[in-house]
Parts: sequence; structure tokens; C-alpha cells
Amino acid sequence: MNQEQRNSAAQLRMAFPYKCLAACTRLAADGEDWALFGASGSTLVVQSSRGTQSTWSTEQNVENKPDHGDESVEGPSGKRIKLSHPTHQKNNFSSIKISNDGKYLIAITAEDKSIRVFQLSSDWQLRQLSERCMTRRPCSITLSDDNSTIFCADKFGDVYALPLLPSPEDERNANPHPEDGPKKYAPSASLSTVHSGRNRKVLEEQLKQAAKGRPQPKDAPTFKHDLLLGHVSMLTDVVTATVGSRSYLITADRDEHIRVSRSVPQAHIIEGFCHGHEEFVHRLCMSNSNRLISGGGDTHLYVWDWLSHTLLEKIPLQSAVLNLYRNQSGLNSLVPEREEDFRIAVSGIWNVPSRTDETDEILVACEGVPALFKIKPETPSEEAQTLVLNGNALDVTFVTVAGANTAIVSIDHVHEPGHTTKTRENQEPSRLQLFTTAQNGEWFEDDRLKSTLEWFSQDTVGGQDTGESARVAFGKEVQGVIYGVENLRKRAEIDAAVSV
Amino acid sequence: MKRKTDTMPGEPAKRPKREAARKAQGDDEAALPKKRFYRQRAHANPFSDHSLTYPKSPADMDWASLYPAYSLKKSEEVVNDAGGMEVCGSHDETPSDKIRKSTRATTKNVEIADIGCGFGGLLFALAPQFPDTLILGMEIRMSVTEYVHDKIRALRVQNAASDTGTYQNIAVLRANTMKFLPNFFTKHQLHSIFLCFPDPHFKQRKHKARIVSYTLNSEYAYVLRPGGIVYTITDVKDLHEWMVGHFEKHPSFERVGEEEYDGEGDGEIRQRVRIMRTETEEGKKVERNNGDKFVALFRRTEDPPWPTEG
Repeated sequence: MNQEQRNSAAQLRMAFPYKCLAACTRLAADGEDWALFGASGSTLVVQSSRGTQSTWSTEQNVENKPDHGDESVEGPSGKRIKLSHPTHQKNNFSSIKISNDGKYLIAITAEDKSIRVFQLSSDWQLRQLSERCMTRRPCSITLSDDNSTIFCADKFGDVYALPLLPSPEDERNANPHPEDGPKKYAPSASLSTVHSGRNRKVLEEQLKQAAKGRPQPKDAPTFKHDLLLGHVSMLTDVVTATVGSRSYLITADRDEHIRVSRSVPQAHIIEGFCHGHEEFVHRLCMSNSNRLISGGGDTHLYVWDWLSHTLLEKIPLQSAVLNLYRNQSGLNSLVPEREEDFRIAVSGIWNVPSRTDETDEILVACEGVPALFKIKPETPSEEAQTLVLNGNALDVTFVTVAGANTAIVSIDHVHEPGHTTKTRENQEPSRLQLFTTAQNGEWFEDDRLKSTLEWFSQDTVGGQDTGESARVAFGKEVQGVIYGVENLRKRAEIDAAVSV
Repeated sequence: MKRKTDTMPGEPAKRPKREAARKAQGDDEAALPKKRFYRQRAHANPFSDHSLTYPKSPADMDWASLYPAYSLKKSEEVVNDAGGMEVCGSHDETPSDKIRKSTRATTKNVEIADIGCGFGGLLFALAPQFPDTLILGMEIRMSVTEYVHDKIRALRVQNAASDTGTYQNIAVLRANTMKFLPNFFTKHQLHSIFLCFPDPHFKQRKHKARIVSYTLNSEYAYVLRPGGIVYTITDVKDLHEWMVGHFEKHPSFERVGEEEYDGEGDGEIRQRVRIMRTETEEGKKVERNNGDKFVALFRRTEDPPWPTEG
């Protein structure tokens, strides 16, 4: 047993920033009751307005199982041989969603490619109902309007429909004839289809192997999951949209595409494409007035009349970030030497809920930028408001308290503002910042909910005495979990240079 | 693992030889290119980024440079008609943008696409048979595309005064159609798509790289007009069954009965199938090896009404 590692792990109880947030409000007989959910590494954290505090971790289940991770045996030569990887895989949450009826929470974890569904009890406790492991890593999930179906977009480019709550019937049907036994393997090439000498030899080998019988490929999932559509590209986001009685699925990919398809049961019909992005698309957002706002590796945000596949507006974002860096003391050092090389990557676009559903307002974040940008897609020429944050913006969710919209913003309290790799000397004590809109529509920092959310927002231990190396290592681990949008950018020049 | 280099052991001087030969040939526009200078590995990875060029949208495509004989030069008249395309981003278009776009437009739209056209045998056979239809070959391999391009140029020069066909109606471009087909064609633009002797991708884990899959068929259905046809041919029975299975599963396609395309009768479909069987390079190779040829055709059906409106 590696004692040293254990010790540092015990000290290292610094909390991860919240990669994602979600909020839910219930109208109880005695007034409003809301809860905030956050995904901090491999842990889900819940706090309600009435004082519920709870956590749920993907680790807790792992720890119950016998862990042979650190074991080692004497090898024949007397050497200690490690039996398996010493640190077991951590399953970090990459996205959480709450059903429209407020009854369920759906979460995806990246490492084990799983979709977990939780039931929310009357006092907001999480109870896991199912854990479904997909064959490819889910990138984005959304729910059908009637909450019955999860749409899961994956890294391989496919969108699957899964029932939120699988019925026993679904389970049975999804298990087609397990008693049939493994199918016999037969190579699909034949002597008339391969011509070169080397290929012919390979084919002869295959035929020999086939005679011996071959191991079957990995099992497909045994639960019900229907393939709806697919891009030959990594999917980055999926949203649903409704116009009258027609529902649509809109998908975005790493190859600049935004595709508008019909929703189930006609998801095989493509209605059109919103062409115009020149870099990867990362986030889609449906506004109150049913406009589509998209952003990714481009310097601008795009606003679409998605039903006619027409670009309405391009809103400059790169210049907004540059302006922030130029004008904000403390961020001046981030102004790049060559501004034309400055890249931004949109990490989030959030629709600000509105009572009237008529005015469009969105908040936008870029990866590694300590600010949110307020944009009104209808009047983009209006000066956008920039909300400067104490750390890089990670996620935003909204709660309505006493008729006022409060934006709860999670920030990166581990890395320096404006950096995705440099860890802070002193960690920011709070992982959240709260904003409310004033009469004039401007957002201002409002700490009224601060005490309610204190337990949720604080960095549990603080980790002051962990030492430099542990701090840096932790920073690296956090970086791997919360950042990576910029990696979606194609590096054509580099690839070309290697392949020549 | 050792990295593969460009030159195989034993053939070190291929590249310079090729370049010299092509250069010599480049001076004579009418000379037909020689295949041996354009040979390339038969497979390409459709998932890699490559360094492809492709238009942002069909409206951004420079068709006039591919089909100069059909170029729409009188730009003022065509401001609104980019060939019935859904023009995206029209709001911030300046008049000069519109002129630029219209000078790239052609009097006709491409209506036949040969996806994975290889050395272009089908293109050259279709060109004189359908002289009034614009036909586009699409190929992911660079040197093979160059061969077809050079051959089209040579044939156009040779047949400039010909009555039977001037080869002005065919063109080729390098493209990864599995990723970018909708960047080139608008909804319902094509009436025929050919998928001739596609890479079989024998290994099971490579099956997603096949040119036909349930999810890709949605894109073929998008660019094909209702009634349009996908023509497939292969010498690999397993791939044939795979293609049939995936098209039959897709609600936007129905299989065309053999009686509609087989035999010596008249009709464009029969004519195209005959050409597909005999004129493609692979088709000829299979013939020489006495291999099988499996043909299957699929017709694009009308989209059904929306579920709530039917």
C-alpha cells in the first residue's frame, strides 16, 4: 500500500468547481420551494431553499466493491508487479438536466459513457433509478417535451432515443434472442474480391481463423435505444424545438454543421441545414421567441431563423472579449500581442427566462474567460453588458425568487481568471456568484441568496496547506474535467504537415 | 509502431518520376493522362479532417469554374436566382457579393452525382449519353481526382468541335461526401446518385466508414428529389446485402424492382444501369476476374405528412 499517496489524498479534499448547474422550482402550498443542483467532479451536490443538503457520488458505489487497485504480487523474479492501474477511473459528470415536470434529474458521466436517471423526492433527495452505459461517449442530452424520451447525442455523431423510464416491456424487446448463441464468423471478402497477393494471404488467414471460431465483438447495450439520426462528425449539442404541432431536433457538430431534422417518429427526415459557421459549433440555444443562437470556435455568435435556415445576425464576441481584457484593470495582461491570432471558444449560451416570452436575452460564456456577456439578439447593436466574474465562467442557471430572476453562475475557483492551465496561489473561497436584474434590465451582483447557498458554494476544505505540487496536480485534474472546448478546433495545417 | 512513410521499400523514386511525367504532359492540354502516374492507395479515412476545401454552403459554391460552358456570365440578371438555392446569410450580402455569387452560378444545376467516382469511368460514359445534364464526380483521393480532372480537360480540348459530346457537362472535385454532401447540394437538387464499387470496409469495426448507412441515407434523401434514384453496384455480396438492408430500413427509400432496370430495353434507368455495369473501372476489373456484380436501386419516396397533420 502506498502510504504517501493515501496521505496526500486525505489532505487533498479540495472541491472541484461546478462544471454544470441546474435549478428547479416547485410551487408548494406554503410558497415557493426551489433547489440547486451542481456537478462537482464525480459528485452531485443538492441544496434547497428550505435547507436540504445532500450529495451523491459515483465514487460511493465504487468504494463498496472490493478494490484490488493497489495490490501487487511477487513476480517470479522477485519483482513487485502491479496487477492493475493503481487509481481507479473517476466518473465525472459532464452534463445534468432536470425534466420539465421537476421530477427527474438526468446526468451524463464522460468516462464510463453512462446516462443516469435520478428521481427527485419531495425533499429534493436524489435516488438513482437507472444507469445506462452507451457504446460511445454522450456529448449532450435533452428531453422530449413530454418528458418521456431522452435524446442522447454522442461523440461518434449519432443521436439515440432512450425512454426516460424503461418499461419492463422495453427491456424484454431490447434483448433480441440471446439464446441464439454467437453467430458464426465468415469473412465477407472472397477470392474474387481481393486481388493483391498480400490481401489474399490475409484472407486465407481469416478463413483459417473462421474455421477455428472467433471471439464475438463487444456486447451491444441490452436496454432499449433507438438510433434516430447521425452525422459523420462528433456531435456537440442537441436541442428540441416546437412550432405549432411540429417538433424538431436540431443537432450541431464539429464540422460547422447545424442540422434541422424532424423529431420522432420522423427523425430520419432532414428539413435543412443552417450553413454559415466556419469553425466548429459547440452550443445551441433556443431563445424565448424561438430564434436559434449558436456559437463555437467562430469569432461571432450566429442568430438564426432556423425554420427557414436563414442567418439573421452575426454578433461579434471575440471583440467583446478583447474589449474586456483591454478595459478591465487586472486583465490587461491577457491582451494578446497579435490580436488577429486571438481565439475564443464559446462554452455556454443561456436563454434568460422571461415572463412575457417576448423579449430575447441571452448570456454567453467563452472558455477560460472570467466574464459573461449579456446579448439581446433582437437589438445586437445595443451595447452588450459584460458581467465580470471572480473566475472563469463555467455554467449558469436561473431561479426566480419573489418574482426576480437570479442568475446563479459557477466559476472556476482553482485556476487564475483568464487562464485554463495556471492554478491560483490562493483559491477563491466561493464557487458561485449571484446576479439579479435591476429595473433598467442591467444585471448586478446580488448577495441575497448567498447565505442560503453558503454550504453549496463554499470550497469545503479550502486546501490551504496542501503544498505547491499537490495544488498544481489538482489544477491539472480539474482542467481535464472542466475544459476542452478549444480542442474541438481543427488543426488542418498541423495534420497536413505530419501526413506529407 | 513504425510510422508508414510515403514510399514503399523498393519503389523509392516514384514521386519525382510522377511529377516529371505529369509536368511533361501538362504542357499538352489535349494529351490524355496516364493512370500509372496517378495511382493511389485504395482507401481513405472518411473521419479524418484532411485538409479539404469545401463551400460554406451550396450558395457559396463556384460551379462556373467547374462547368465553364454553362457559366452564367451576365451577372446583373440573376441576382435573385442562385439556382433555386436556399441562400443563407443573404441579409448581410452586399451587391458585390451577389455579383460574385452569380458569376459563380451556372445556367443549370448538377443533377447527377457519382460519389466515389474513382478514375471516372462512369462519368466519361455518362457524359455523351446525357449531354444536357450536369454530372459531378466526387472522390476523396487527391491524385485520383487529379487524374479525372486532367482527363476531362483533355477530352474537352479534343472534342471541342464534336457533335456527339463535348464533355462540358461533367466535372470532378475532391470531397469527403460523408461529411460535406449538404455543403455542395441543396435540398432535392439531384435526381440520381451513383455509388459504384464502394470501399467494402470488411472489418466490422470499420463498418461506420461505409458509404451507406441508415444515418447517411438521410443525407442522400435530403439531396435527392422525390422520385430520384440511388444506384448501387458492388462485387462484395456482404456489402450488397448491407446496402440493401440499410436502404430498405430507411423510410425515405423503396427498392426498385429488377424489371425496371434489368435487360436490354429502353429508358434512362436501364441505360444508366448498363453503363454502371460495364463502364466503371472496377466493373471492368470484376469482369476480367469473372467476379459477381450485385446491383440494387432505391427510389426516394415523398416525405410523409407530419405525424400530427396526417
